[in-house]
Amino acid sequence: MKQGAIWTRPFYYIVVFAMATISLYPILLMMLSSFKTSVEIYKNPLGLPTSFSLDTYRTLLSKIPFTTYFMNSVFVSIVSVVLIVIICSLASFYIARFKFSWNNALFFIFLLGMMIPIKLGIVPLFILMRDLGLINSLWSLVFMNIATGIPLTMLILTGFFRTMPYELEEAARIDGAGNLRVLWHVVLPLMRPALGTVVIINFIAAWNDFFFPLIFITDKVKRTIPVGMMSLFGEHSADWGSLFAGLTLASLPMIVLFFIASKQFMEGLTAGAVK
Amino acid sequence: MKKINKWLFMMPLLIVAALVGCSSNEEPAKETAPVSSTDDHRVEEVSLTIGSWRTEDVAKYEKVIALFNEKHPDIKVSFNPTKNTEYNTVLNTALQAGEGPDIFHLRPYAAGLKLAEAGFVEKINDLQELSTYPEEALIASKDAEGNQYGVPINLSSTQFFYNKKIFADNGLEVPQTWDEFMQLNDTLLEKGITPIAMGTKESWLLSLLHGIVGPAIYEGNDFYKAVLAGEKDFTDPAFIESLQVMNDLKKYFPANSEGLGMDDIRTLFVLEEAAMFPLGSWEIPVVLEMNPDLDFGYFPIPSKMGTKTVTTWVDGSFAINANSENKEAAKVFLEFLTTKEFGELFVKEFSMISAIPGISSDNALLNDLSKSTESEATPYMWVTNFTGGDPTTKTVLETELQGMYLGQVKQEDVAAKVQDNAKTWFAPFQK
Amino acid sequence: MKTVTVMPSKKKKSWAKWTIHLFPIPALVIYGMFVLYPILAALSYSFFEWKGMSRGDFVGFQNFVTLFTTEPYGSMFWNAFKHNVLYFVLQMVVMNGLALFLAFIIYQKIKGAEFFKAAFFLPRLLSVIVVGFLGKLILNPNFGTLNIILEKIGLESLQRAWLGDPNTALIAIILVNCWFGLGFGVLIFLAGFQSIPAELIEAARLDGAKGFTLLRTIYLPLMVPSITIMGVLTFIQSFEAFELVYAMQGSMGEPYYSTDTLAVFFYRLAFGSSTASGTTAIGLGSALATVLFLFILICTTVFLRFANKKDVQM
Repeated sequence: MKQGAIWTRPFYYIVVFAMATISLYPILLMMLSSFKTSVEIYKNPLGLPTSFSLDTYRTLLSKIPFTTYFMNSVFVSIVSVVLIVIICSLASFYIARFKFSWNNALFFIFLLGMMIPIKLGIVPLFILMRDLGLINSLWSLVFMNIATGIPLTMLILTGFFRTMPYELEEAARIDGAGNLRVLWHVVLPLMRPALGTVVIINFIAAWNDFFFPLIFITDKVKRTIPVGMMSLFGEHSADWGSLFAGLTLASLPMIVLFFIASKQFMEGLTAGAVK
Repeated sequence: MKKINKWLFMMPLLIVAALVGCSSNEEPAKETAPVSSTDDHRVEEVSLTIGSWRTEDVAKYEKVIALFNEKHPDIKVSFNPTKNTEYNTVLNTALQAGEGPDIFHLRPYAAGLKLAEAGFVEKINDLQELSTYPEEALIASKDAEGNQYGVPINLSSTQFFYNKKIFADNGLEVPQTWDEFMQLNDTLLEKGITPIAMGTKESWLLSLLHGIVGPAIYEGNDFYKAVLAGEKDFTDPAFIESLQVMNDLKKYFPANSEGLGMDDIRTLFVLEEAAMFPLGSWEIPVVLEMNPDLDFGYFPIPSKMGTKTVTTWVDGSFAINANSENKEAAKVFLEFLTTKEFGELFVKEFSMISAIPGISSDNALLNDLSKSTESEATPYMWVTNFTGGDPTTKTVLETELQGMYLGQVKQEDVAAKVQDNAKTWFAPFQK
Repeated sequence: MKTVTVMPSKKKKSWAKWTIHLFPIPALVIYGMFVLYPILAALSYSFFEWKGMSRGDFVGFQNFVTLFTTEPYGSMFWNAFKHNVLYFVLQMVVMNGLALFLAFIIYQKIKGAEFFKAAFFLPRLLSVIVVGFLGKLILNPNFGTLNIILEKIGLESLQRAWLGDPNTALIAIILVNCWFGLGFGVLIFLAGFQSIPAELIEAARLDGAKGFTLLRTIYLPLMVPSITIMGVLTFIQSFEAFELVYAMQGSMGEPYYSTDTLAVFFYRLAFGSSTASGTTAIGLGSALATVLFLFILICTTVFLRFANKKDVQM
């Protein structure tokens, strides 16, 4: 390290700056374009907009019930993530910390879901949802988010559970703690980083899912943000300014949330995923 | 210990309870609706839902529904469109599960009739008012046995739109013969103006372009009739020539045409960077929305034989879901869709050509076009007759045309592939 | 698990033992209902004849035979398969290679590490629809940023219709996907670097290892677990590639099938092409999904076996 240091450091900075620019530029472009008209985007694609008038946003917000969509998305995402964390913690604790003969098979079954397009089963799913009375209910989306999130969540949590030392757990058991207490008071607090990972990944997936809401939700007031946004594509195919404003509005909540929780996000991901 | 064990036992119960509690959250919402309707039992209120791929028409359909409610205040209607590209998936899934909207927008011709064949669509043979419709409009949602499934809403036509100002500035006139048309293109090219706004990135634009240009090369309606009778097929030299002409037109397309899609070519025409725009009548309102001052007209394509054609078909019909619980009310709405009041509102609000006979519009361009569709029409055969097969013959044509424009397929091979596909299912070719 | 012999009576003991089996039940129930059941039901479709949307007779493996031996399906399958392979290779080299390098840089405790991590991760927050739309915008031949930049730096000859040219369309989409997924890889690899015990590196340094030797003998072997996990996830994701291709090029893998992938092909068969004519071939679609599933399953299992063995040796 020491010898190469004269040129390696600047080189490192050049690389990360360049890559950060590439990562951020399209998002900036989207936001800037939302202040332009179609003609401006076409004639002056890279320049700054002539004005930063919020009119496009105002008309857009007056046309679509953004607050309703937003609340629906928040409800679905938060409930999904909370339930997924509880459910998968229980299951992966079972798989990773006990050695029942069927555990490997069970783990394997949970992973299968990653390898097959769930869209394939949409007709049986639709019939199932109808029989459960969940068509047009946000709970259909919650269940789908949980079910489709299980494979990756189990992979991460089980991997993490396995790496944890048994000593602490045993100490608790000697004190007479039962399984649930061991999980809740001893294991989970140590798992915070992995849980962070799981929360982020599932939150992003739940927030951005548009296939299931499209199929299961027909009632306009129960739409989530991605579906509301998709309808914009049809309505504003010729009005790119509005389209970009819509895309920005749809992406903004996640981005804001990300900045607020950035630190936890990062720690979670960094510490969680491998092992 | 005791506490924990209790907890353990409670855990699954809690989860189940939470789930049940949550689903019961939904119940009150459902219950309130019937309660309010039994309150005023003077009229029994019915709610209809309409499925459609026209997300762009939400506001317009609200006006239609308002007009409908003037006469039928007891029928509540809500228009719930799905994005065009996802519509089939959403509708098919719901129909296969015995659900779906009460009324839905039926894709024209074979695609829509497939739903009817599967038993998802209610027959509406007894809808009296349909008898005044021309056969060409009805055929879009009528099966081989003559059962009617849909009320046709609008005719679509494809033709060349042109920029009147660019034509006038360069001393150009609407072409009266095929040769004039080609000369016109050359003149524009020499003057550095892109003659035709067209791109080959989205393949559906290619079958659409062929639908306009093809009939000008082979003998329009004669060739069409001969194909239907099984006397000619797609190995016919005239058909191959039409593909050759498609390829020849490429030099009149904008730069980078292989990367341009619908939005790009529309923008080129609207910004007056291209002189002509071969597309459908549904683009008129969109173009005008982008640039209300654009002075543009259309011309029917002059053929090599001296005739002129615009290419027409029925773009969509409204049909009743065979599983609907409100078929009577749905029928009332469909009847309304055949009335003059609806036709006039439709033409005014949607700027499209109504399928109802004898409806005229204030928009001169649309009126002329509407007359053209009566006098100079040739069917858009890829849509009207060749949406069968798997993949459909239309799909094969457009994909292979894309290959041709990319220099990967020769026009003879395009024709051969289209013919091979059509032979697998098109009855007249199986004789 | 050592048994703990403190107080509890036998009865309580067995009760506690039994309750542990309740732990995986909620996950199994939800997963079974909403993933396993519909998928198994749909996979069984591949053994039936389908006429449009109605199921016909049991036909055994007929759909599988048709898929591989009848045109155009046979050539479409292999064409799409090749694209999935390219998808995987490019993502491994470009996205994971770059992510590994960036993670290594951040691991060197550069200033603003937090900012860079956040910046790399930001695209991952966007919906695929938004990503696809931004990709199309930047790659637009007439006003896309890429072509404009090429012009400004005097490389006009490189300008092209990126998404319309069959030679570049798929690569362009894969690179957009790399842009999207880069940050996730960075964070995973960074976690891998940070879990390397500092003493090990110190020890190696004291032994005189530096630069490339240090990288080869210490870093890379210890990064194997995180590289393995990213490899497997990238593999699965590459062979299931659908959303972005669909958002950018539609269900036909345009232009001229040059961006077709197995999952897009599956979607086209099962749901019909997205345009007006919605012909569906549900039997063939299910057969394709089954083949794809088995392929991913076998490859992943073999790969993980192999990786685990290597792990043990080290």
